[in-house]
Amino acid sequence: MPSLAKPFSLGLILCLSLWPFFSAADPYAAIIRQADLIQAGADLQIQARIDYRLSPTAKEALHKGVPLTWIVDLNIREVGRIWDSTLYQRERPYKIQFHALLNQYEVVTPEDDGEMFLTLNAALNFMSGLHDDTQLAVDLIQPGQRYYLAIKCRFDREALPVPLRPFAYLDTQWFLSSDWTLWPIQK
Amino acid sequence: MAYSKIKLPASASILILFGFILLSLQLMSSSTQESSELSEMHSWLLVINTLGSITLLILVAVNAYSLVRELKKKEAGSRLTTRMVSLFVLLALAPAAIVFYFSVQFLHQGIDSWFNVEIDRAMDDALELSQSALAQRMNWHIKQTRHIAAQLENKSDTLIALEIGALWADSGAMEIAAFSSQGRILASSSTNPSDILPHLPDEQMWLQLRQNKEYFAFDPGDNDEMMVRVILPIDRDQKRFLQVLYPIPVRVTDLADSIEFAFIRYQEMTFLRNSLKTSFSLILLLVLLLSLLAAIWVAFISIRNIVAPVKELVKGTQAVADGDYKQQLPVMSQDDLGFLVESFNQMTKRIARSRDETRAAGLEVENQRAYLETILANLTAGVISFDADFHIRTANQAAYRILHIPVSHFVSQSLSNLASKHAELADVLEAIQQLLEKADDIWEQRIVFLGPNGRQELLCRGTPLFLQDGSRMGAVVVFDDVTDLIQAQKNAAWGEVARRLAHEIKNPLTPIQLSAERLQHKLSKELPETSQDFLQRGTRTIVQQVEAMKRMVDDFSEYARPSKKQVEKINLIDLIQEILALYVPSGILFSTSFSSRSVIIEADPVSIRQVLHNLIKNAQEATAGNCRIEIKINKAVRNNAEYAELGIYDNGSGLHADQIETIFEPYVTSKAKGTGLGLAIVKKIIEEHGGVIWVDTSYNGGAGFVIQLPVFEFGNSK
Repeated sequence: MPSLAKPFSLGLILCLSLWPFFSAADPYAAIIRQADLIQAGADLQIQARIDYRLSPTAKEALHKGVPLTWIVDLNIREVGRIWDSTLYQRERPYKIQFHALLNQYEVVTPEDDGEMFLTLNAALNFMSGLHDDTQLAVDLIQPGQRYYLAIKCRFDREALPVPLRPFAYLDTQWFLSSDWTLWPIQK
Repeated sequence: MAYSKIKLPASASILILFGFILLSLQLMSSSTQESSELSEMHSWLLVINTLGSITLLILVAVNAYSLVRELKKKEAGSRLTTRMVSLFVLLALAPAAIVFYFSVQFLHQGIDSWFNVEIDRAMDDALELSQSALAQRMNWHIKQTRHIAAQLENKSDTLIALEIGALWADSGAMEIAAFSSQGRILASSSTNPSDILPHLPDEQMWLQLRQNKEYFAFDPGDNDEMMVRVILPIDRDQKRFLQVLYPIPVRVTDLADSIEFAFIRYQEMTFLRNSLKTSFSLILLLVLLLSLLAAIWVAFISIRNIVAPVKELVKGTQAVADGDYKQQLPVMSQDDLGFLVESFNQMTKRIARSRDETRAAGLEVENQRAYLETILANLTAGVISFDADFHIRTANQAAYRILHIPVSHFVSQSLSNLASKHAELADVLEAIQQLLEKADDIWEQRIVFLGPNGRQELLCRGTPLFLQDGSRMGAVVVFDDVTDLIQAQKNAAWGEVARRLAHEIKNPLTPIQLSAERLQHKLSKELPETSQDFLQRGTRTIVQQVEAMKRMVDDFSEYARPSKKQVEKINLIDLIQEILALYVPSGILFSTSFSSRSVIIEADPVSIRQVLHNLIKNAQEATAGNCRIEIKINKAVRNNAEYAELGIYDNGSGLHADQIETIFEPYVTSKAKGTGLGLAIVKKIIEEHGGVIWVDTSYNGGAGFVIQLPVFEFGNSK
């Protein structure tokens, strides 16, 4: 089961400082449904499925032309006796934007490719499938060792317009980030 | 110079602090603009400025709390500091709050003025117009594509490959391609010869195509160009599809982009309207808080620096009020306050000098008073001062010694009160009281009374005291015990009488006696027997009387002649026991009571024997047989000296009251044969030994005499 939260960003610091006020579970936080390390030919690739959930305020902002950005943090960690060591680390940013003229949603992938979608669901559905194109060597995972895949999908509040940022740290409508989730890697 | 050395770093620190605050506020202000590179740091700057405000708030709160504590403790300068800080805060807060209120109002109004219904409608219309234009173009291209598809319907793949080039050329499309439902390319033609493969639909398009059997949409093309993508089935069985990509003119694209950008921008601003207001108000509030709190904090520091000399001054004043006139304050500045501190230092110096002088004068007065008190205390004469109501104010030691009552314990009481508690002195005290009340001038009176030690004679002199205005302020009475003096004068007189007796009477007695004896010798043989007998009786009488007169003159001589005592340490008890042993045959009953086993005195044993013999003989003569004499020795303390108090009491007829005053005077006797010198000699001997003797008037069983002699040593108590 996914668990374990690790603070890292300014947003997280602020969130932690204000945690007592917003301790209830975030109803609009992204959910990591599934994550795995799959064999792609002779190499390994990370694959995950993420459900993005938009709050009414986030939807309104999107339709008013405010682009929304999520950054998916991918980590492969080896379980140590005291400390876990990070073997692989990567960030995958996804941006969704509404084009009023065309009445379409554009998703900008980590590769900076724009994909147009007629509906929001189609756009979010496209975003939900994550395929990390990095080819990982098979010998990265050694037999007898324990590894896990850590994934977090964090909403990038700093990508919002400046006047909106302070409120994005305080309003639960903007708490769209998931917790860190850990997925054991089976050799 | 010291002032500038101290103040310069503080001023520099304050300037640096304000510089940092201004820089931080400027950075935060700049970061609100999206185009600024600082916009990425906006959140951090907001946090830093918020933390700065909280820090300053804590500093101000700590200072305020410290000030409140000082106020509660009523520390010097705290009230002035509070007043100045309150005034500053009020003066700073009021305009700042007004400016803040109106700034926020103007800000909100300014933001609101960006939006209105006309612009909303214009933006919507512009977008709708653009969308209509593009839709019209889209419809046209769909129709055009249907026409092309109709031309290719039911044709083989080969024919399609042959005809598609011509159709592309006629349509004016960017690219035209035919592909199977599995995505296999059947034929294509493009304006760009480098494009080997056509722009095939992606998964999303395929999905839509399978659902709707057709697909048309605006696609972003290469180089930010826009194009219309239309995909239609060629055949009714939908096994082959035709995709045509139509270019949109650059001008149209630019215009559409421009309208979209403006619309989006406007929509975004509409959405951010309240956020903008709140965000800018927040920044304005932070600016206000930072500036105001920094100013208040600096005000605290500055006011404390200003009040510091005043604080020192207040402390110094309190110290002076508490009597510390050596207080000298450090002069920290050369301004008005420095001048004030210097003046304070000069004032304390002068006060200290005056205080020292006053203290010296007071000390002198006190010394004089103590000197006078010492003189009064050591005077042999008793001195009692009275207030205007004749109540005792002071009394010296001699008064106690003479009257034998602690007069100084009766301060603020009248002599009548003293008399009521000491009945034995009632007569003399009442007499002095009356004299005090009646006298308007100096008076002198000799007062005789019977004190505890026998008859005493006081020579009193009273002086009423008056103020400058003539009102009576009291009186002073000086008195002296002249009993001894009078007695000495009497003794001297009797001595003179004795000397004269010896010279004038005793000298002729011998020739008288010799003449009478010669008459007896010469005439006894010549006269007849009858005359011889007469002569013999006459001459014998003359000789006897001359002998008696000689004895009497000798006694007087003895009494008047200074004694030649052989003083030695004797045990008074042993001496008494020896004397009493001599009287055993006489049948006198003696009873003795001694408080100690031995009482050593320094005295001439012969004289003391004479004293005891005289007293015992007197007692014996006063009783007609059955004589009982009681002898007691007790320890007595008088004027811090120890005395042996010897009491001799008989069971005789006692003494009359009129006898008691003169009993010790020469030639006073109640006996027919006595010369009246016995008790006078006793008194003389006792006084020559430094003692006193008096009649114990409290004894009623006969005559009682009490002798007090200085004692050398008391033996062990019984």
